[in-house]
Amino acid sequence: MVKKKTGLLSGLIGMSLLLAACGGNEDAATTTPATTDEETKEAGVVNLYTSRHYETDDVLFDQFTEETGIDVNVVKGEADELGERLSREGEATEADLYYTADAGRLHWAKEKGLLQPVESDVLNENIAENYRDTENEWFGLTKRARVIVYAKDRVQPEDLSTYEALAEDQWNKKVLIRSSDNVYNQSLVASFISLNGADAAKEWAQGIAGNMARDPEGGDRDQAKAVVAGIGDVAVMNTYYFGQLLNSEDPEEVKVVEQLGVFFPNQETNGTHVNVSGAGVTKHAKNKENAIALLEFLSSEDAQGQFSEANFEYPVNENVEPAELLASWGEFKEQDLNLSELGKYNADAVKLMNEAGWK
Amino acid sequence: MVMQLHDVTFTYRNAKEQTIRRVSMALEKGEIVTILGQSGSGKSTVLRLIAGLEVPEQGEMVIEERTIFDAKTFIQPEKRGVGMVFQDYALFPHMTVAGNIKFGLKKMKRTERDERLASVIELVGLTGFEKRYPHELSGGQQQRVALARAMAPNPSILLFDEPFSNLDADLQVKIRDELRTILKKTGITSIFVTHDQADARAIADRVIVMEKGSIIKTGTPALILS
Amino acid sequence: MTVFRSIRRRTNSWSILSILFTLLILSPALSIFVQIFEKPNENWAHIQEFLLKNYIQNTLTIVLFTGIFSILIGVSLAWLVTAYTFPLRRFFKWGLILPLAIPPYIGGYTYHGIVNYTGIVQSTLRNEFGIHANPVFFDILNIPGAIFVFTIFLYPYVYIITRAYLEQQSASLIENARLLGSGPLELFFRVIIPISRTAIIGGASLVILEVLNDYGVVSYFGIQVFTTAIFQAWFGMGDVGTAIKLAGILMSLVFLILFFEKALRGRKQYSYSNAKVRPLEPVSLSRKKTTVLFAYVTVIFMLGFAIPFVQLFQWMLLTYEKVMSPEFTQLIANSVYVSMVSAFIIMAVALVIGNFTRLSDGILSKAISRVTVLGYSIPGAVIAIGVLTFFLWLDRRLNVLYEWLNIDAPIILSLSLIMLIFAYVSRFLAIGFNPVDAGFDKIGRSFTEASRLLGKPLWRTFIQVDLPMIRSAVLGGYTLVFIEVMKELPLTLLLQPFNFYTLSTKAFQYANDEAVHEAALASILIIFISGLSIFMFHAVLEKEKR
Ligand SMILES: Nc1ncnc2c1ncn2[C@@H]1O[C@H](COP(=O)(O)OP(=O)(O)OP(=O)(O)O)[C@@H](O)[C@H]1O
Ligand SMILES: [Fe+2]
Ligand SMILES: [Mg+2]
Repeated sequence: MVKKKTGLLSGLIGMSLLLAACGGNEDAATTTPATTDEETKEAGVVNLYTSRHYETDDVLFDQFTEETGIDVNVVKGEADELGERLSREGEATEADLYYTADAGRLHWAKEKGLLQPVESDVLNENIAENYRDTENEWFGLTKRARVIVYAKDRVQPEDLSTYEALAEDQWNKKVLIRSSDNVYNQSLVASFISLNGADAAKEWAQGIAGNMARDPEGGDRDQAKAVVAGIGDVAVMNTYYFGQLLNSEDPEEVKVVEQLGVFFPNQETNGTHVNVSGAGVTKHAKNKENAIALLEFLSSEDAQGQFSEANFEYPVNENVEPAELLASWGEFKEQDLNLSELGKYNADAVKLMNEAGWK
Repeated sequence: MVMQLHDVTFTYRNAKEQTIRRVSMALEKGEIVTILGQSGSGKSTVLRLIAGLEVPEQGEMVIEERTIFDAKTFIQPEKRGVGMVFQDYALFPHMTVAGNIKFGLKKMKRTERDERLASVIELVGLTGFEKRYPHELSGGQQQRVALARAMAPNPSILLFDEPFSNLDADLQVKIRDELRTILKKTGITSIFVTHDQADARAIADRVIVMEKGSIIKTGTPALILS
Repeated sequence: MTVFRSIRRRTNSWSILSILFTLLILSPALSIFVQIFEKPNENWAHIQEFLLKNYIQNTLTIVLFTGIFSILIGVSLAWLVTAYTFPLRRFFKWGLILPLAIPPYIGGYTYHGIVNYTGIVQSTLRNEFGIHANPVFFDILNIPGAIFVFTIFLYPYVYIITRAYLEQQSASLIENARLLGSGPLELFFRVIIPISRTAIIGGASLVILEVLNDYGVVSYFGIQVFTTAIFQAWFGMGDVGTAIKLAGILMSLVFLILFFEKALRGRKQYSYSNAKVRPLEPVSLSRKKTTVLFAYVTVIFMLGFAIPFVQLFQWMLLTYEKVMSPEFTQLIANSVYVSMVSAFIIMAVALVIGNFTRLSDGILSKAISRVTVLGYSIPGAVIAIGVLTFFLWLDRRLNVLYEWLNIDAPIILSLSLIMLIFAYVSRFLAIGFNPVDAGFDKIGRSFTEASRLLGKPLWRTFIQVDLPMIRSAVLGGYTLVFIEVMKELPLTLLLQPFNFYTLSTKAFQYANDEAVHEAALASILIIFISGLSIFMFHAVLEKEKR
């Protein structure tokens, strides 16, 4: 009986060793991006660090490979951490593109010297100026607006006007918004710092912190649900989450969200806050041409249309119509702001929200 | 002279005073020596030093003309040819009686090994128990397996650290007489630690008395224990 | 002369290997630890003024209550399962470990999905019964909710260790207490808890460590704890220095806790005695009491495993067609592969270090056994940065070699699985080391000494005597590490090579974007594989007993 037990144990150990031996090779083949191998040289590769995890993206990468023969290698992680990894790898990095949500983060990467300017007529043509870096170090690829959603039964659209108004007494204990850790909120506040100045932005943050229906919790979708649940009357959220909820596989979610309306604030004043997800070629890219080719592909009308259809994001390419749902909300006035500003004021925004007591 | 210990000194880590102070002794071939002394006097420590389980600060030891330790040498325990019967026997619970006894028989042919097993097992009177596991034996039987296991590789010296303390009084008397018979029959040189004077009287050719880490007396049982 | 001799006596391949392993594995953690002494900058002041007090308060609240509840649940279950008979007892023996197969952040998402406004509970009340319950009542995205999630998915650490301990206890101890007139409750609080103190503290400290370095649950729940401050400094303010300083403080805190644990544990006890104790036999209770007991055990099992599992399963059915792809076989292979290899390496290293520290009494060996826990004491992302930095440095050193070999890439190691596996080893060494250490503790040294006196050198002794005697501890450690790696997220996210995904990163990719339903398939697979390994471990142990 003793023999049997030790046998089992050594079997287990042997198995791991065996796996280590053969599995290692197999993985090396699939995981090491080859920049220099003979065979790949013809078509080449492009190596990507991305914090976007949408299936649409994968589908588009596959199409790109099909069209150009260039293989797309991907590391999917969290934006800030990938940025940190890129920064630590420095010159040695194998990443050619850094692809992430939020212009603030893209700007941060630029400031850290992780990106390089790109001259491409195609990109300049496809992407409006506001949505790319002033020095063309990064390019927005999809656009979203941070809007107010309201309970149709309790709130009339006429009651709503601006972000600023949400900080007023009228909305005391009625506002739902997620925590200040979240980059979307940080960028929102950063845009106010840029447009209205730090004092006004802080005052606003204090007003919002005071008007919250509950301490911030959950993601954007949770804010919407909380409005329907009656915890508050209005919520601030990104448009694509609203689109996703409306198209959920869970009929209950669809039913609930149908009770909500979307409102684009600040139409009479300085416009609704928009943000992008986008990408930039890394400073030490080993496959710069391919990286630019991928960027151009993603900004093409075809790809832009797919982003919008599948993920309810607004195209940055003005020739492309947004998905039907987005179109049904109508056109709207955006903040007149180069999105680099969001990055510039990010750190200030974080501190300011902390000081305002926004949890 | 089978073994010589000269001027051995040792201090445990954390201990303030020297645990063993300049201990010397010499053993004749086939001699049975008993170390007597109060609890904490350093008896077990002397055995551990001889076995190589502790490293002396100072002193020398020679077994059968081979230097075991001195200022330059330190032979690892497994290479010393010293056997030991532990107070709690330390029988490997995952091996049978046969497995335990054969454990120390290396560099022997299979048949030789089996013969050796049969002979020591007969010597301790446990024939028929080969397939048992230690926990399937009584205390006295376990003790005899421990003895057989220690004797099997034919050590130059056999050390016993209070081998009877786990046994009841009747058994103790019986086993200790048996033990002496076995030791004398095989002619193994042995050191025997105890604090029971009756034990010493029954089994020893010579008695060494320790106190606070030093040897204070040595002589025949009759002389020392009168 | 003494020094010379003792060096000679102690210097063997074990000590050299141990020191080498320790230095290598802990260099990333150590590099973080030393940075706490660096001068603070102005972000530090900001964090101190606005965040720290509140964050520490939240952290302590969560740690304290999670600790207490885990102990109460873990120990009571361990005791009930060991001492009484009830229906399905044999299943619950291992079934109660199953919550460990669910990563707490997935459990958190799942519970939130169950009780939120569109979740099954509220929507059923609303649609079937027309009851509009106050949604605040169902809110779990808060501190009590986090305590619930941590407790229900982590209590098995306490349960496993305490049960193993109680099973070895002598029946006469308990019988004596009964004879002295203790009722069941008194017996539990006055005898069982005190005698199992060591085991309880061992299990609870694993729970606490896990809670302290969690980021997944708290960030989703929007609770600001100490780790939040680390991440805010790092990403919100772009100040790695302050982040690392905070991580260092956390690490010191953990060290303090462990120090207390050791102090409480007191003198080691060697207890593999030959005189076999009569093991505790479960007794049966009155019908009424058995029902209550069964209900309690079932409720915990439902909360910790069945309910979240069923919910995930339902979500999986909802999204199966959308999510399922052939890629999943590769994901399973990747997850199982890294988990097995890491667990194997960890157990090997743990055995070497464990054997070394038990055989020598120097301060060095004590220190080594304590620092194994370093990697487990700080948030994964921080450790990951340490590992990355270390590997990039290695790559730079090795550049000459690469050139000589005609490899025209500046970094090889830091793009390979080796880095990721190294990181796992560095992080989870403590999980593998603990049971090995306890196992060695239990057998003591005399078997080893006996073997050496019978002519076997250290290595042979290790293979023939030590290893077989602690094999169940090794197997237990292997299982725990396997599950931990299976569930691991932050290290994997940061250090993954190109195109290398695991079930865990797949689940994250959806969950991170609030697509909880889509994350279900990957989550279910993680849980299934981890659950299976728990079952296999249990089966092996049971077979051994017979
Ligand atoms: N591992 C150790 N570390 C430190 N001191 C020790 C250790 N082992 C023993 N000592 C101390 O060394 C001294 C001698 O111990 P030793 O075990 O040799 O005594 P002993 O004569 O065998 O006693 P007993 O008859 O009780 O077994 C004692 O004072 C004891 O406290
Ligand atoms: Fe998002
Ligand atoms: Mg003694």
